[in-house]
Amino acid sequence: MTRFSNYNFKQYLSSYIPIILLFISVLNEFDFNYLGIKYFSFNFSYILIFYYSLKKSKSFGYGLIFIAGLFNDVVVSMPLGISSLIYLLICGFAAYLRNITLRPSLIKDWIFFLITISVANSLLYTILVFNFSFKIDYFYFVANTIFTFLLYFGFSYVFYFYENEIIGTSND
Amino acid sequence: METSRDDFIIAIRSAFLKKENKQRFSLLGLILFSVIFLILGNFNFKAIDYLKTGIKEIVYRSSFIVSTPENFIRNSFFTVNEHFNHYEDYLKLKNELDDLKSKDLSRTIINLENIKLKKLIDDYFITSNEIFAKVLIDKQSPFLRSVVLNKGSKNNIKLGMAVLDGIHLVGKVVEVNYLTSRVLLLSDINAKIPVSLEPGDIQAIMSGTGKQNGILQYTKNDNLEKKTGEKLVYTSGAGGLFKSGIPIGKINEEKILANNEKIVDFYIDFSQLKYVKVISFSKEKSFIEESVEEEIKSLNIQIAEMKMAKETIKVLLEEKKITKETRIKIEAENISLKNKIINLQNTALIAKKIIKKNETRRKELEFLELNILHGRKCKKTIFNKLYTVGSQEYKACILRKGLKKN
Repeated sequence: MTRFSNYNFKQYLSSYIPIILLFISVLNEFDFNYLGIKYFSFNFSYILIFYYSLKKSKSFGYGLIFIAGLFNDVVVSMPLGISSLIYLLICGFAAYLRNITLRPSLIKDWIFFLITISVANSLLYTILVFNFSFKIDYFYFVANTIFTFLLYFGFSYVFYFYENEIIGTSND
Repeated sequence: METSRDDFIIAIRSAFLKKENKQRFSLLGLILFSVIFLILGNFNFKAIDYLKTGIKEIVYRSSFIVSTPENFIRNSFFTVNEHFNHYEDYLKLKNELDDLKSKDLSRTIINLENIKLKKLIDDYFITSNEIFAKVLIDKQSPFLRSVVLNKGSKNNIKLGMAVLDGIHLVGKVVEVNYLTSRVLLLSDINAKIPVSLEPGDIQAIMSGTGKQNGILQYTKNDNLEKKTGEKLVYTSGAGGLFKSGIPIGKINEEKILANNEKIVDFYIDFSQLKYVKVISFSKEKSFIEESVEEEIKSLNIQIAEMKMAKETIKVLLEEKKITKETRIKIEAENISLKNKIINLQNTALIAKKIIKKNETRRKELEFLELNILHGRKCKKTIFNKLYTVGSQEYKACILRKGLKKN
């Protein structure tokens, strides 16, 4: 009985951890900028949203992602609604991949993640530059995309390990 | 072919339209909602502004709390780094301190001269409003280099105010909320600051690059290349937003961009901002008027004092003249009196001599009279053994009017 209730508690906790992480990441924007490595930055929110929308879609409510996007807009001072749009777009891409995938493979997910963030960042760049007259360093933006793509591989292992070894749940 | 297209459409429809078990909203609905937010925000729709302000007040505070662990890690990282570089920094700072000490005195004099000259041309700005603020959020997004401060309109923060870390310029306030405000850093690609380069007083516009440095724009490279040595970048004061002479950074001579644009290395590491000073500059008219009035007053007092002093000097000169004349007269009198005294002294001396002479004569006469009368009582004869005429005993006998009576 105790084991059962412990299992339930773990399940309950694991269902909220990703969304808490997402809110922490948008409020905190941790990207290790302070290390001072030239052009190094990555978007943890993209990795988290894509992975959990793909593997554990029940963990993420779209409404909460929408709110997280609004928070991110305020933190980084972007037009309200743009991050929500990008986050939800990533969710859509992940959901599409989930629907068409019969045999999941990390490499395929990884390549699809590159396509997803490329489309998302292109849209973001287009809207910010052409619609809101933002001046954005294009190389910085591309570097951000590349590092986000590269780090997805590592983070997906971390999330997998967390979900399967620590919490003990299986993917969708 | 048709089957695969159908599969694609089904997958897309399923992904965007189908509402899953635990989802309260459909993805497409929320995407549309985001787009509506964006469009209304673009048209400055008031409800969106209010919503944004409300979210800002919540998010900035929450972000500060959420950032605490990362800030702790970051500060620990910097602390460890500083410890490793401690000795080198110490030696460097020691040398710099020696240099600066020697430069400090001349700098103070130049500063005073500068203030005096600026006052002359009515270009002396003073700090009219100074607020110290803590950096709540300093997350540098790839899109905007900015920090959020814990002071807002409640603390008299206004748009466009300059933000300084020590004496160095950091940026300007671009967004003011009730309890918080956002500062656009100089490193932001959208930041444009009128600057002047010293030595040479070359004017330019400095723009951020999105990194830890800036680039110089709209400057004549000919002017720049003529000057050799280290070039320092200060605010020029053009536009009146910042006062002139706030230090920003120095030109990096080693790095030159492809289009010959110069790189400016900032003095401040914007990722290390903790407490900043938000200030506005103004020509405080009341201050100037007061100083002028005070100067006029003091001048009037000085003039009055001078006049009084002049009058006093005039009177004193008259007195001196009179005194001189009097002194001359007295001196003349004195001389004549001295002469008189000498004459009188001579007369008195002569008179004394005469008196003495007369006294001697009188005594002789008295002796002679007594001699006539009493000579026989004292004179030595055959019949007595008295005194010889002319001897002292004889004289004494005469003066005693004869012999002593026993």
